[in-house]
Amino acid sequence: MFLINCPYCGERDQSEFIAGGEAHIERPKQPTELSDDEWAEYLFMRKNIKGIQFERWNHAHGCRKWFNMIRDTSNDEIKLIYKMGEKPPKG
Amino acid sequence: MSQNLRVKSSNFIDETSRISFKFNGKTYYGFKGDTLASALLANNVHLVGRSFKYHRPRGIMTSGSEEPNAIVQVGNDKAITEPNVRATEVEIYNGLEAKSQNCWPSVNFDIGGINNFLSPLLPAGFYYKTFMWPASFWEKYEIAIRHSAGLGRSPTKPDTDIYEHRYIHCDVLVIGAGISGIMAAKSAAQNNLNTLLLDEKNELGGTTIYQNSDNFKIDNKISSEWLNDEIEELKKLDNLEIKTRTSVAAYHGYNYLLARENLTDHQSKDEKVNKVRQRLLKIRAKKVIIATGSLERPLVFNNNDRPGIMLSSAVKKYADYYGVICGKKNIFFTNNDTAYESAISLYKKGINVHCVIDIRENSNSSIVKEAQDLGIKIYWSHTVVDTHGYKKLKQISIMELSKDGQSFANSNKTVLDCDCLGIAGGWTPAVHLFTQSGGKLKFREKDQVFIPNIYPSKQISIGSCNGDFELDEIIKNTSDTLKDFLEIDNSDYDNLTVKTTKETSKKNIWLLPSDKFIGKTKPFVDYQNDATAKDIKLALREGFRSIEHVKRYTTTGMGTDQGKLGNMHALGIIADTTGVKMGEVGTTTFRPPYTPLTFGTIVGRNVGEYFDIFRRTPMNDWHINNNAEFENVGQWKRAWYYPRGNESMHEAVQRESKATRESAGILDASTLGKIDIQGSDASEFLNRVYTNAWSKLGIGKCRYGLMLNEDGMVYDDGVTTRLGENHYIMTTTTGGAANVMSKLEDYLQTEWPELDVYLTSVTDHFATATIGGPNSKKILNKLIPNLDLSDENFPHMSFKKVKIGKINCRIMRISFTGELSYEINVQANYGKSLWEQCIDAGKEFNITPYGTETMHLLRAEKGFIIVGQDTDGTMTPIDLQMDWVVSKKKYDFIGKRSLYRSDTMREDRKQMVGLLTDDSNTILEEGAQIVSEFNQNPVQMLGHVTSSYFSPNLNKSIALAVVKGGKDMMGKKLFIPMEDKTINVTVVDPVFLDKENKRLNA
Amino acid sequence: MLNYTSPIKELKKYTGLTVGEISPLMKLNLRGKSRDFLTAIGKNINIILPIEANTSSSSENYTAIWLSPDEWMVVSNNIDSKDNNDYEIEELLFNKISKTNLGSVTNVTDQLVMINLSGEKIFDLLSTGCPFDFNDFKSKKGSSTQTLLAQIDVIIHHNKINSVNLFVRRSFSEHLMSWINDSASRL
Repeated sequence: MFLINCPYCGERDQSEFIAGGEAHIERPKQPTELSDDEWAEYLFMRKNIKGIQFERWNHAHGCRKWFNMIRDTSNDEIKLIYKMGEKPPKG
Repeated sequence: MSQNLRVKSSNFIDETSRISFKFNGKTYYGFKGDTLASALLANNVHLVGRSFKYHRPRGIMTSGSEEPNAIVQVGNDKAITEPNVRATEVEIYNGLEAKSQNCWPSVNFDIGGINNFLSPLLPAGFYYKTFMWPASFWEKYEIAIRHSAGLGRSPTKPDTDIYEHRYIHCDVLVIGAGISGIMAAKSAAQNNLNTLLLDEKNELGGTTIYQNSDNFKIDNKISSEWLNDEIEELKKLDNLEIKTRTSVAAYHGYNYLLARENLTDHQSKDEKVNKVRQRLLKIRAKKVIIATGSLERPLVFNNNDRPGIMLSSAVKKYADYYGVICGKKNIFFTNNDTAYESAISLYKKGINVHCVIDIRENSNSSIVKEAQDLGIKIYWSHTVVDTHGYKKLKQISIMELSKDGQSFANSNKTVLDCDCLGIAGGWTPAVHLFTQSGGKLKFREKDQVFIPNIYPSKQISIGSCNGDFELDEIIKNTSDTLKDFLEIDNSDYDNLTVKTTKETSKKNIWLLPSDKFIGKTKPFVDYQNDATAKDIKLALREGFRSIEHVKRYTTTGMGTDQGKLGNMHALGIIADTTGVKMGEVGTTTFRPPYTPLTFGTIVGRNVGEYFDIFRRTPMNDWHINNNAEFENVGQWKRAWYYPRGNESMHEAVQRESKATRESAGILDASTLGKIDIQGSDASEFLNRVYTNAWSKLGIGKCRYGLMLNEDGMVYDDGVTTRLGENHYIMTTTTGGAANVMSKLEDYLQTEWPELDVYLTSVTDHFATATIGGPNSKKILNKLIPNLDLSDENFPHMSFKKVKIGKINCRIMRISFTGELSYEINVQANYGKSLWEQCIDAGKEFNITPYGTETMHLLRAEKGFIIVGQDTDGTMTPIDLQMDWVVSKKKYDFIGKRSLYRSDTMREDRKQMVGLLTDDSNTILEEGAQIVSEFNQNPVQMLGHVTSSYFSPNLNKSIALAVVKGGKDMMGKKLFIPMEDKTINVTVVDPVFLDKENKRLNA
Repeated sequence: MLNYTSPIKELKKYTGLTVGEISPLMKLNLRGKSRDFLTAIGKNINIILPIEANTSSSSENYTAIWLSPDEWMVVSNNIDSKDNNDYEIEELLFNKISKTNLGSVTNVTDQLVMINLSGEKIFDLLSTGCPFDFNDFKSKKGSSTQTLLAQIDVIIHHNKINSVNLFVRRSFSEHLMSWINDSASRL
């Protein structure tokens, strides 16, 4: 059970949150211009790595805000939490 | 014959309070403070169970939670009995009844004992090898094998005890209240840290609390006295909570731990009535201090499992703590100094200690000297090669070891009389919780122990679980570690004088040699699972190398004790046999729980009515008073149908459906999701989330909307009403409400943050009564006489804000049944009254309350879909023949692009159609498969029935279905094969009734 | 005339804990992001919306609870009438905030049931079903949080010493109340 530091509410138990899959996958601005393959890339393709993963989480049972999390999936260590719209750190 | 083998009074046993209990049907007496094990030993009962595989007689081996043998069934009522309880942990109370497990007909005469003589035929992997062939015989073997498997008996009835959960947040959690745990808890609490101290025993102080030897002094006090004073001071501290009888079961990431607090198991039946039996503590600690101590290792030699062979530390504890003598002819067998502590302690109580057998060549430590001075005989360089006595140890045979310890110096064998052999194989730090938390161990060659190396969270291990075994080390290292870990400057423990004895010589042999061929010996490694050293060697010979594989093949360490005693020996034997270094063999994974938990504790109060959450509408009481049957829809309890008299469900639904179409019906629609939408971009937002266009919807008008996922599949639907220029109220399906809200918020926060739109859920704010049917207008008119209900003023798909009395209401003229229909929304606390007034006003029109089943039937007659029933996440609006609701003009909306993927444009996708049965009385089964011909192998499944009813209004069976290429199959005959018959159906338009929508304006 | 029926009928007393619903109480959900939004609220109902997470602010008539960086709940401090459901400030704020596109104003009076817990055992009760760490919360009057109690979403507001108000969706309230009564009976 993680202890997640919601960027708005502070540290809360994981049971207050839901995970929302990979972060930084932006919805294409002009979907109709895309080929089937390009659209499928957006729609279906997600990373699932052992190691550093960029994820979206939602404080569903708290402030209901979405935010980004960098998590090491090999040991569940949360490396960084940052707000929606903020860019991931380099490196 | 029962005897009472007690020495002088002990501080921990209340001899004035005699307790009677039953074991295997016989009544015994013990004292308050006894465990079942100590009380049995005091009654000279050693034989308490039979081993798992060979049914060998087994006795009490330990004095704690690591006990592998003394596992008993507690309670005489087979409905609520508890299996696999460690006798060493059961505190006796008046009326306690326990019995041995894994034996029949009795522990003294056990038929299964024959396995012991068959044991040469039952090596590791016996079942794997023997019952493989012929494969078809497995079913027969299985019956016999299952019968002999398992330990205790499961209770047959639901658990009647009460369990609870509790969340605890603390600054510092200290696990274990031995000497280092007490030091830690006191240091933390004194420094204003909110501290929780847990111990699995009923008393604080660990082993030091009964260490009454002059050899161990702190601050010039005997160590037990010193610790007692510390505990007294500790108890005075404010921000400290102490929980005894509390065992930490699991240590997860982020310092989240689960512990089982045992509240009433030590109490008599009368005392525990209506009390919580056990509590699962869900602990979140900022810092964790593990002070779980260490477990004494047995020694592995031939026949090392007879009743009467015990850990030397257990023999000491039974004497020092419980005042119980385990044997009259005591011998200790050791590879280290621990046994001497025990021997001296017994000797000083006047208990016979015949000798100590030591595998070491010599030792000049002070404690060994003391034993020698007391006249205790020591056999240096000797080992036990065999033991004798079936149900109780009678004799042991010893021989002198060769220099390398692998064989013997000579062939002389000495036989010694002995009824209690205390074995001491050194100590294993209890690192279970540390490794559960993700910690990495290192191997310390010097004394062959795994100790904590890399900590994954804010935690520290102190005392003997960190590999500090000598008193001076423990105090010095614990004190230093605590200052650093708790960030404190001064400690009470800085300059303590400590007197201790130092171990000066070490020798360890994982598998002691025998004068017999190994195949003829039984050197047990895992007592509970009957795994011997020879099984491990066999596994290695057969090619197993990984410790995890050897473990599973031999079942070493897979009992309820998870091999707390023998795992290290298994590793050692593997290392020795394969010539690999022990540190490289690694350990098996320690998994939670540390000691077994009852299911009751895990479940807590989430049983019965609290098993799942339910939601109720404001009209719920009326439904109950009017005989409604309820259906679960999501978490909601919805009225399903309202049977009258002896009506069946079918009869009730037919009546409700007919009454609604003929005159008027009323439905509690309060469960529909409702989202209030405000903001200058509200219309644009709706354009993006729904498939149809919203900008031109007039204020006060309603529109049906269909919502897709990005993959183009239908996600939700509902009617949205424009309340103002930038103000809408959206309705969603009952089950989809929370997900839709969350999905829409997701888009607003992440994809379209530029939109000025705010969403607020108002599902529970409104109660909704839907009145429908040709007379609904008249009923509404009675309810609100001043509202102009003409089609001009209040047409279909429009909205009015009105008052009933002084209460504001919102009325939408919308229809899910095809009838003229009004949805009246009122603030929830007025909902029940609104409903009752609708019923009153509708009486003269036979207004009929109907439930979800009739609602489903009525909409099916109209061919309206229910998302989740007629769709399953693979249906596009085109598949549903709902092209009319998909805007061609809009540039984009959620899921639009996916409607033009090659897959979604296939002609042969499953499409929504209506089905009529040839025999109009045959009702199809929902989920039934549909085929077009049988002369195929395999027969091709074209689709399935999604909704099916007998329509009383059309007087025939109707169904909705999804069929591959169904759109182009109008009029085609298809077949529905059932178990006993084939049903012929015809594909038709899914709208069965009133295609022209005349009834909406009737 | 429509009659008023609140979901929780009884006031229950246990050792160290009293549990009961308080109603009717007007509740408004306010959402907005701009400074103008905050100013308009302050001007019109004379209350400063709390900016700090997990806190609340109060005026004579209303209490405002922080829910998220752009969401607040305003609750009446005084019992409202059961005979009508016209709330003066709802209309006022709707006109000044929603209609001017500064934010949203939504009536959630009956969306949420307010259960008052009072007595020294409040946090013992909450600890049997709530993962939230109340250690700091306990010591601060006016602190608030949204979390789960018995797996049900709740807003918890520490309104005064030995008293908290628990806001729960109406449809869950009977279940939650039953759970509270069950748990409280063993305190």
